[in-house]
Amino acid sequence: MNAPREAGSRVGGSESLPPAGRAGALPVSVHARRGGLKSGESRFGLLLLLPAILAFALVVAMPFARALLLSLYRYTIDMSEPAFVGLANFAAVFASESIRGSFVTTLIYVVLATTFSIVLGLAWALILNQPFRGRGVLRSVSLLPWIMPSTVTAFLWGWIFNSRYGVLNAVALELGLIDYPTAWLSTSAGAMAAIVITKVWLSIPLFMAFFLAGLQNLDREQLEAARVDGAGNHAILFDHVLPHLRPVLLVVVVLGIIGNLQQFDTIYALTGGGPVRATAVLSIEVYKRAFEQWDIGMAATVGVLWVATILPPAYFYLRQLMKGAD
Amino acid sequence: MREAMNGFGERAVVVAAGVLAFGALAPLPARAADVEFMTWTYTEETGKAIVETMVEDFEAETALTVEPQGYAWGEMSKNLFLRARSNTLPDVTQVQGRLLPTFAGLDAAIDLNEVIERDELEAMFAPGFLAMGEVDGRQIALPWIGGTIGMVANAEVLEQAGVETIPTTVEAFRAALEKVRDEVPSSVPYGLATKNENSIVLDYLVWVWTFGGEVIDADGQPQVDSPEAVAALEFMASLVKERLAAPEIDRPDARRLFGQGAMAFYFDAPVARTFARQFSGRGEEIDAAVKPVPTPVLGDGDTPVSIQWGHVIMPLGEDNASADAAAIKWMMHLLSDAALVDYAVDQSALPVTASGIAAERVQNDAYLSDWAAASIEPRRNAIASLDNGPAVSAIIGEEMQAAILGQKTPAEAASSMQSRLEDAL
Repeated sequence: MNAPREAGSRVGGSESLPPAGRAGALPVSVHARRGGLKSGESRFGLLLLLPAILAFALVVAMPFARALLLSLYRYTIDMSEPAFVGLANFAAVFASESIRGSFVTTLIYVVLATTFSIVLGLAWALILNQPFRGRGVLRSVSLLPWIMPSTVTAFLWGWIFNSRYGVLNAVALELGLIDYPTAWLSTSAGAMAAIVITKVWLSIPLFMAFFLAGLQNLDREQLEAARVDGAGNHAILFDHVLPHLRPVLLVVVVLGIIGNLQQFDTIYALTGGGPVRATAVLSIEVYKRAFEQWDIGMAATVGVLWVATILPPAYFYLRQLMKGAD
Repeated sequence: MREAMNGFGERAVVVAAGVLAFGALAPLPARAADVEFMTWTYTEETGKAIVETMVEDFEAETALTVEPQGYAWGEMSKNLFLRARSNTLPDVTQVQGRLLPTFAGLDAAIDLNEVIERDELEAMFAPGFLAMGEVDGRQIALPWIGGTIGMVANAEVLEQAGVETIPTTVEAFRAALEKVRDEVPSSVPYGLATKNENSIVLDYLVWVWTFGGEVIDADGQPQVDSPEAVAALEFMASLVKERLAAPEIDRPDARRLFGQGAMAFYFDAPVARTFARQFSGRGEEIDAAVKPVPTPVLGDGDTPVSIQWGHVIMPLGEDNASADAAAIKWMMHLLSDAALVDYAVDQSALPVTASGIAAERVQNDAYLSDWAAASIEPRRNAIASLDNGPAVSAIIGEEMQAAILGQKTPAEAASSMQSRLEDAL
């Protein structure tokens, strides 16, 4: 760190030491670079980052900037060139009952999917944290839903809920709970339940892994001491386990919100946003506007607003990560 | 030493970054074939082999090469649109006739009137078919196979249900559906499209027209809340309510159920027979059961409704705007009797050329004759030709779903559809 100061101080032919407290203010060699070795290291670091920056610029920044720009244009398939309309697309979005509905649908989906994923992921982690025979195998098997491609999972659940061939109907008919097969995915509540269940099933393993990792650091002696003092399961969970898992919980909640705000594939494969827009979350809305109605300008506008909804939790998540790194 | 390492490292990183950047920005490799042909038939089990045969024959005849590029039927328009945006359009593409107006605005579209003599085109195609490829006076595509969207009945299912005659009126149709529901366990008597907006629109158009209504009038204004249109919506909603039709049915579901003997009626193009062969697992053995029938009418003497249907082939790119271009030669090969007749009959559709229709194989196909007889005065799909047809389809699909799933009364759905369409149009 102090190499430039120690390397000598021959400046302009005279031999003199730099004043105390100003060490390094003057170059110690005519060949030394301004800023010294540290500056060189910084430049080298930047160069190492260059491929990543290039990739980021090409894959993320430029498309996003273009989407931002397109949100100010009317651009449909019948137009050879986009036409500038200013903020008209944004006005149209806020005036559109169906798009406002998509924000509400997204909120419902994110709240339900995130809450159930976290509660069930935590419960499963607590179970798998107990010592019992076959625990290792069960932990491994529990990761299967996470490993499976999400569209495969969506089709799997699609078959479970299918009105004609679905397992759910077969069981309900067998038990005499229904007289005729029910089209679960054709009701608003049924379709929403289906996409939430599918996402929860996909998310539990990941969240369980987070919680399980957090539980490994839990002081067992502290728990035993609490039990000796008469603490029950409820007190152990709320007074000891959850406070211990608070940092993990925070990250998992934010990750869950971001992931569910971004969710597209399982919803599209299961319901396509229907019936009657009951599951048309923002990602589906963007897709339909862009690739079914070919209204690129409006799709870009909804996309920009969609990103705006993801930014706050993403910022919070990054801030937590930075804090952890510090 | 460290500086030397740093210097070496910097140079290496710059070189690596340059290589990466070059790799990312370098032009794509040269095209492998003389003609890129974008088609959904190539992805379908029923069409892949015959497309390959057509390609092989063409390559043997001309020494030109063709690369068939398969895209799923439902993904074609989207991918064509994306390829237009990225300047990677193919030389020739297959397009649904009803969607052709959507692509008329592409810069790469060619007016074939300037490539092939008009007289030659008119002599080549059977009367009426050439217009399938025309938009605003420009011949931007050539017809390939044609027919109509009409009703198809499964004679085996009707026999099982004790339905002895094909229903010709709406009332008789409902009675037949009730028999099927009661006599054929686990069946969906009528495959009313209830899931996919694009499919819903076709069924909606047929029934609104059947009930004497209009969806869009001659002035381009929506008329979907007329008493006739509301009556049609009530009819469709009642079919679902009484389990004569079912939610979650799209055209592919209907084709499968029909082939498996679990559906008596649905609307489709003539390709219905080909799908029935495939999904029944019985091949041509099921042909006798697949009956093209006239759409039931409201009152005796009314004209059964059917909708124009067909596939066209569209050349793209100024380079192909010449009769000598490989793309045009490929299109002409596709329309030659040797290639077209077998393809059309295999797809259970009509070839569109005059000589193709006159071919013995076509004339001897009773199914195609019956289909033509059942489709009197087919009407043009009034939605597909709109600039914002997909958005209009979405509105109709959503409101019709709301009515048939009981979320709105038919009158409420019709009223909402009307106001939304007025805004959209």
